[in-house]
Amino acid sequence: MSGSGLRIAGDTHVGKVRSANEDALIVEPRLGLYAVLDGMGGANAGDVASQMARDAIREHVQQRRGALPPRKLLEAAIQAGSKTVYTGAQADRERHGMGTTVVACLVVDGTHLVVGHVGDSRAYLLRRGRLQALTRDHTIVEELVDRGLLSAEDAERHPYKNVLSRNLGSRPQTRVELAELELAAGDRILLCSDGLYGYASTEAIQYVLGSGDDPDQVCRDLIELALRGGGGDNVSTIVIETPQAPPTSTQVVRTTGASAWWQRRQRFLAVAKERGLTRSPMVRGLDPKEALELIALSLCQAVYHDLEKSTGVNVWTFAQNLAGGWFERGGGWAAVRGLIDILGMSAHAVVDEVRAADAKLGFLLDVAVSRALVVAELALGGLLAERLRQVDTDLIELQTLNEALEAPADELAETGERFVERPTIPFLQPERPVTNPGVSSEVLDGIHKTLTIARARTSPRGELVKQVLVALDAIASESGGSFATAVLSARELYGVRSVDDAGVQPLFDALDQARILTASSVHQLPASELTRARVLRAISTAHQRLVGATTGLVLEAVAPLSERLRGVQARTGELRDRVARAEQRRADLERRSATIVDPSLPWGARGTTEW
Amino acid sequence: MDKMSTVPPLARAYEGLRPKILQRLIELRSSLDPVLARLDEAAARAQVGAVLEHLGNFLATGDLGMHRAFLHTLLAMRAAEAQSPAAVLAMLVAIGDTAAQVAQEEGGGTAEGAELTLLLTRVTASTARAVNDLIADQLERRAQSWGQIAKRQGSAP
Repeated sequence: MSGSGLRIAGDTHVGKVRSANEDALIVEPRLGLYAVLDGMGGANAGDVASQMARDAIREHVQQRRGALPPRKLLEAAIQAGSKTVYTGAQADRERHGMGTTVVACLVVDGTHLVVGHVGDSRAYLLRRGRLQALTRDHTIVEELVDRGLLSAEDAERHPYKNVLSRNLGSRPQTRVELAELELAAGDRILLCSDGLYGYASTEAIQYVLGSGDDPDQVCRDLIELALRGGGGDNVSTIVIETPQAPPTSTQVVRTTGASAWWQRRQRFLAVAKERGLTRSPMVRGLDPKEALELIALSLCQAVYHDLEKSTGVNVWTFAQNLAGGWFERGGGWAAVRGLIDILGMSAHAVVDEVRAADAKLGFLLDVAVSRALVVAELALGGLLAERLRQVDTDLIELQTLNEALEAPADELAETGERFVERPTIPFLQPERPVTNPGVSSEVLDGIHKTLTIARARTSPRGELVKQVLVALDAIASESGGSFATAVLSARELYGVRSVDDAGVQPLFDALDQARILTASSVHQLPASELTRARVLRAISTAHQRLVGATTGLVLEAVAPLSERLRGVQARTGELRDRVARAEQRRADLERRSATIVDPSLPWGARGTTEW
Repeated sequence: MDKMSTVPPLARAYEGLRPKILQRLIELRSSLDPVLARLDEAAARAQVGAVLEHLGNFLATGDLGMHRAFLHTLLAMRAAEAQSPAAVLAMLVAIGDTAAQVAQEEGGGTAEGAELTLLLTRVTASTARAVNDLIADQLERRAQSWGQIAKRQGSAP
């Protein structure tokens, strides 16, 4: 698919866990409009929300194209999408609370890009091999980070990292964040839902996006990446590629460099052997020839493919497999360091020989091989950092256990308290002070009246919604500025619910309905606009605290299940690695048997190598 | 009489390019490092500028011990900001890559430009190597601590 010389592809997948795909795509080269929408909401309304917004955005751009400048046009289109979803949600009780994220872009004349987004669907730019985020997620956690209440690292592991602070549909108007960009030759833009980046690392996304493959293949590979990472959500991707600049002499020489490198593979193997590769503890038990082929030749192939495509994914995978398997067997770092150094020195020795014969080619090959070693170190660094994190976690657990064992008996007796009194999630600490400028008596009165109006408008069967509204009244009226009331209210609402029956979903539905009722009830408050705004802000803050506290309880309840899941995932990972190693071995054996040429046979019947 | 410079020519060439490299890194900072992405431009400029300055010193002196000490401090500082060592490694590699890219673009096909590009790529490789060795050292120390505590509790494997 193409538009303005662009190459474009889009793909979506339901994932491995969900039963329905609530994502929607817009791929309209004629309009220069591309978007990924990720729907949400109970009663199967997520797909309805994303599709409603998709149609409204597309229609708006189609009709107003030319009448508005691109930035205004995209913003107005997304607002139209929000209004449509909001209206749809209000019209049908079953669809209350439905909403969708959106990341959309307008490409103008193939040279200029406007990106608009709401929620946590993302846009990335890959330029000169480097991946840049063009959007920042609209989540509560991100806002906490922006306010300095949470570190970026903690945000990555925060249980509420997916709770959105804005979306299309929760209100008629939303705040759209816009960015503009001049496109350059060879740029790649990626639009995606959280089903991609939630299940694939940024580095892996960068390498797949940076491969020389066409956008169709890249979209498929990105989805495959998310599925391999667990595929726990719907996953959608759109890749837009600007035309490549004419091949430069560097690119031409790069291709030549790849060939030159491959032609010298036997020399590389010989140097690696001289430098002691076959004596490495990592290949102990293997026949020397086999060790050379498994390690040195595999790296040689990886470097060759990365040189050809100007990417690093093959070397990355090589290093991960090599060290990952070794660490799992209890191997230490020194052996890995020794082996990587042997391979690096051998590669440089070969490059020096090329350089002596052809300085320009040798230079490019030198840069490429040095770069390959950087990629290998990056992969190893990821593995080491993960191991360090695991050891740190174990160390903390062990130390805590140690302190508990050493504590006097009367202190031990006090440890039987419930998690609500002693929360494990820092965000929920009841004693944590919260910035609260205090509320005036006028606002307090407004809060109470608004929630009374909301209770009066609640249906007779909506007992749980009424309870939520009472809780909101208590939290919003509280002047102490702590989470204590929210935690206690959440505990009261949560009651004896458990996560394995239908007890939790109605509670969250009630929280959502209470939010909608409150937002509409505040307009009936006989007060100034300013007071209404303050009242709504106070109730909204209270609602966020209540949702946060309730989520915390649910998370605590599912913790044991998560532990079990992690155990199963670890076992699955081990099995997958064993399969990968077996496949690698099979492939090597096949290749070796394919290189055995019987000269007595006619040419066509002889074995051949893959090269 | 002209004083003879003791700074190697490639290190001098790098110093000439440093403002451009810094500018490019500031433009890219959102993808370099989540901590840098949240800083205002002046603060980000100061932090990236410090890394680039150290890189210049390393190019001028080739002092691996000083380089390792700098990386050790950087890892410790970032750990205090809850940054994982892998994120620090990725940031350092991104800085090295960008510096090499700028050197290649600005070198205009000259031999000096090519040599500087190669030197910066090799320095990035040795930086990554040193960072990994530092992480491995930390890992070993923590594993030893774990072993000692477990032994005290009688639950050592």
